[in-house]
Amino acid sequence: MRLFGRAGIDVVATLGRSVLFLLRALLGRGSTGNSFQLLIKQLYSVGVMSLAIIVVSGIFIGMVLSLQGFSILAKYGSEQAVGQMVALTLLRELGPVVTALLFAGRAGSALTAEIGNMKSTEQLSSLAMIGVDPLKYIVAPRLWAGFISMPLLAMIFSVVGIWGGAMVAVDWLGVYEGSFWANMQSSVSFREDVLNGVIKSVVFAFVVTWIAVFQGYDCEPTSEGISRATTKTVVYASLAVLGLDFILTALMFGDF
Amino acid sequence: MSAENPYAVELKNVSFKRGERDIFKNIDIQIPRGKVTGIMGPSGCGKTTLLRLIAAELKPSQGEVWVNGLNLPTLSRSELFDMRKQMGVLFQSGALFTDLDVFENVAFPLRVHTKLPEEMIRDIVLMKLQAVGLRGALELMPDELSGGMKRRVALARAIALDPQILMYDEPFVGQDPIAMGVLVRLIRLLSDALAITSIVVSHDLAETASIADYIYIVGDTQVLGQGTPAELMASDNPRVRQFMQGIPDGPVPFHFPAANYRDDLLGGR
Repeated sequence: MRLFGRAGIDVVATLGRSVLFLLRALLGRGSTGNSFQLLIKQLYSVGVMSLAIIVVSGIFIGMVLSLQGFSILAKYGSEQAVGQMVALTLLRELGPVVTALLFAGRAGSALTAEIGNMKSTEQLSSLAMIGVDPLKYIVAPRLWAGFISMPLLAMIFSVVGIWGGAMVAVDWLGVYEGSFWANMQSSVSFREDVLNGVIKSVVFAFVVTWIAVFQGYDCEPTSEGISRATTKTVVYASLAVLGLDFILTALMFGDF
Repeated sequence: MSAENPYAVELKNVSFKRGERDIFKNIDIQIPRGKVTGIMGPSGCGKTTLLRLIAAELKPSQGEVWVNGLNLPTLSRSELFDMRKQMGVLFQSGALFTDLDVFENVAFPLRVHTKLPEEMIRDIVLMKLQAVGLRGALELMPDELSGGMKRRVALARAIALDPQILMYDEPFVGQDPIAMGVLVRLIRLLSDALAITSIVVSHDLAETASIADYIYIVGDTQVLGQGTPAELMASDNPRVRQFMQGIPDGPVPFHFPAANYRDDLLGGR
């Protein structure tokens, strides 16, 4: 009973710390002057460096969707609808969700490990002692880089996935090109599908980056602590993304 | 009161706990301005914790920490960061930024806190590196340096902004005799020439005694003794004598508190 109580208090305390951490990093006063350069550098390492895994996964997922969709739709003689199926699946679900999961594994774990290591080698302390707030100098640019780059990556993922789908359906399985694209065009609505997908990926970006950076900053400064924090980042971020995806989907498309 | 006060740093009735364990209990420490003050004590007695209290990286569970006329525990986060521009800390590990080379590490405080032109930054960095004997290492990355060299680069970085208070956490560990001699002289020189208040945390008795104007011996949650090196050497306080002469048995225990040795060995069966 006591253990439960203590665990509960720990959870609440961690949540409180993480919220304070976020507010201080994003809203606190005082800037480091060259924050734009810092952001660009992080956008490169968090966003650009994740491009390869996002593009390759996007192509394959689009191709698989197309294959699976074709084999099912062909039974009903409606293989022309494969374009619409691929596009809707990617824009509404797989684009934001898979991107967020890949991002948590690729960039999120790297962020946690990097910040955790800075903490254990006293780099964060020495920054603070030089009079530079590590929340501003280290944490804020990484948070913003994640917030900005992940929605863009999700869009790239969907676009590349649709190309992959078109490649398989049109060039390989022989679906008529005109109906593939026309079906997609007529059934995908900008507000319903594209925008909702973007909203999802913005929410995921926020949550995944927040978890990753906080876990690094809050970790126990030992090699074991860093490895535990990195694992936590991937696990918590993935669970949060999947859970939130259900909630968001229910809110967005659940009115039937 | 700041410039008039003869003490740059004052700890008043400070207590600090880590978990349930008391690290300090109601200690009072006064660090004179412009002097070299040594803080000595057996390892694990909380010397580094004391530095972190003065740097306001840790908050005391009770008491006041005054630095240059400001009571640190009452300051806001941004006031604290401003205050720290007047301080330099040399960490035990050096804590260099691993993504920057030696030059950029030393230039870092200048870049973030000043708007000096590039040539002037270069000159200052070269001068600071020359002082620690590593001007030739300017293009090396931190992982290419030895532990002792890292600490010297970190010292160059700590003095880049000419702070009023410099704190050294075990500066003598891992230095060869030559570098040690230079370091000892450098710490003394910084204090004499620039009137920097230096706080040297160390357990190297000979080196600390050779440069310190005043020494505090801490241990067992208390200040065990204080005075000039000569006074401490001549002290007849048994705890001070034990430490100054390195006697293993005495009022200051060598062993971390533990159950009876015999019971512990036999109790495992």
